[in-house]
Amino acid sequence: MKDMKKGTIDHTKVQSRVATLKQFYQRKGRMPSFSEMAQLFRLRSKGAVAKVVDQMEKQGVLRRDSTGRLIPRSVNHSLRVLGAVEAGFPSPAEEEIADTLSLDDLLIENREATFLLRVSGDSMNDAGILPGDMVLVDRGRTPESGDIVVAEVDGQWTMKYLRKRGESVTLVPANARYKPIRPQRELKIAGVVTGVVRKYK
Amino acid sequence: MTSQPLTVHNWSRAILHLDVDAFFTSCEQAVHPELRGKPVVTGLERGIVAAASYEAKARGVERGMMIPQVRRVCPDAIILPSDYETYSLFSLRLFAVLRRFSPEVEEYSIDEAFVDLTGLRREYCGSYELIARKINATVTGELGIPVSIGVSLTKVLAKIASKWNKPNGLTAIPGREIHLYLAELPLEKIWGIGSNTAALLRKLGVRTALAYARCSEGFLAKHLAKPHLQVWHELNGRSAHPIITESKSSYQTISKTRTFTPPSHDESFVFAQLSRNLEDACIKARRHQLAARRLVAMLRTQEFRDAAIELKLNRPSAYPADLFRFLREGFAQIYRPNVPYRSSGVVLAGLVSARNLQYSLFENATQVEKVGRIYQAVDELRERYGKHTVQHGSSLLTQQRAQHESERGDVPQRKTNLLPGENRKQRVGIPVLDIEV
Repeated sequence: MKDMKKGTIDHTKVQSRVATLKQFYQRKGRMPSFSEMAQLFRLRSKGAVAKVVDQMEKQGVLRRDSTGRLIPRSVNHSLRVLGAVEAGFPSPAEEEIADTLSLDDLLIENREATFLLRVSGDSMNDAGILPGDMVLVDRGRTPESGDIVVAEVDGQWTMKYLRKRGESVTLVPANARYKPIRPQRELKIAGVVTGVVRKYK
Repeated sequence: MTSQPLTVHNWSRAILHLDVDAFFTSCEQAVHPELRGKPVVTGLERGIVAAASYEAKARGVERGMMIPQVRRVCPDAIILPSDYETYSLFSLRLFAVLRRFSPEVEEYSIDEAFVDLTGLRREYCGSYELIARKINATVTGELGIPVSIGVSLTKVLAKIASKWNKPNGLTAIPGREIHLYLAELPLEKIWGIGSNTAALLRKLGVRTALAYARCSEGFLAKHLAKPHLQVWHELNGRSAHPIITESKSSYQTISKTRTFTPPSHDESFVFAQLSRNLEDACIKARRHQLAARRLVAMLRTQEFRDAAIELKLNRPSAYPADLFRFLREGFAQIYRPNVPYRSSGVVLAGLVSARNLQYSLFENATQVEKVGRIYQAVDELRERYGKHTVQHGSSLLTQQRAQHESERGDVPQRKTNLLPGENRKQRVGIPVLDIEV
């Protein structure tokens, strides 16, 4: 346990020091020098200051520019984002939020290969894809049996379920009013449908 | 002499050059599959051909041709307005795909890239040619656009290789085979050798790329400049042009031009176009944290006569408010009344980093800072609500014409056929397939 303590950072101390830095920055409009920081933090050597600064850098409180001068990252305005500094120990909620996915990330797996397509027909109604919906089409995926695919069959474009049985390939609609399609001459699959987007308002 | 290899090293380095075949029209054919195999032309909004598909080129359509002439030589050509938004999306995707293979990618132009593959053979368990094949398959598979690829020891050689067999080509030139490819190659086909240099070389008795590669260094140093000597090294398989991986942060100049149809001799309208050019160029400069020291204003008449003027700024800036004074001055000097103009352009030159600019001695620093803050706000608004949410009054007149444009059908389909939630200024950053399903 003792070893652990050596490596961990004393958060309350860091917070109070960040608060001190913040005050200084707000008052003077610049970052303090190392010797000024020694005074502010009541440290005896600049070496000790350097350690503290290193720690703050690691925590993302401070940053250095190309010449090595310090730039406040959260001290000035983005304190709210860090939350931890102002409100004590980071609450689990704040820690978690940094790792959330955007809707884009959720819907799109391969960004470079994904295209949008506006649906006009109703042959996939029963699969929940309606006219006017936007589907995400991934051109980089290998189509598998059971996938919804966008394909060119004998010169005609269509969106259907892909059914493979042995050698035979069938395109199956999700609407009783349409018949399954067996490609006569040619089948070119443009991509696999990976998601549907419908916007009501 | 011709049988002697130029170098004994087959793959001291491996540089790949990739070039999209007929980029603009290939993007159109990718999102409108029904256009595949048909003669397609873009540039309707400018009145001249910006790009022609291979099918259109085969019918005699050339870049820069006037649209009415296209209709004569190729009556069934499909002539589209340029959709630069979609082309840019494809361009970004192209570079992203290449970076999957190697971190060292140079974005040479919107549709051209150099990739350093050196050392990747082990990673892909195969030859450099095989890696090139994989890259080709990925780009054509995922993006749906055809590319030509060349792999060799240097950038100059890679470029020769990619041009060797267009479209859909893939050519690998190992060190021991360089001389075979250069033997018959005319000098002008070498990247970096212009027609003047080629003419000079011919007078000196050098007629092919191979003869050039076999010249002695002393001979070339005597007659030519350093860049040509670098080309000579590159032809011999010794790299002289490094791969520049920074993604477009070091623009030498930033230019923005616009063609307005129909041409206009309305002074305030023409200036509005120039003003919009300046705003656009400054937006790009600010995005890359650059500031210009020189400003070029250009006007082109309906008869394709150009007038341009270069102006020196009192200090580097990327704020239109600082530059309008100069722009007006330049405009007054090049604008002639009653002459119909068809396009305008602005070039920002002498670019420097805007991060640590020095104010001149007699300037009011607070005033300068204030302008900076205004544009920061403008940029934030733009990011949030789209381009030109806030604009200078002098650019306003351009918008009236923009409405005319859409009536004339000169606006790409992507901008008129919007998805729910999109607006005229902002659309989803994903290419939309135009397929009826």
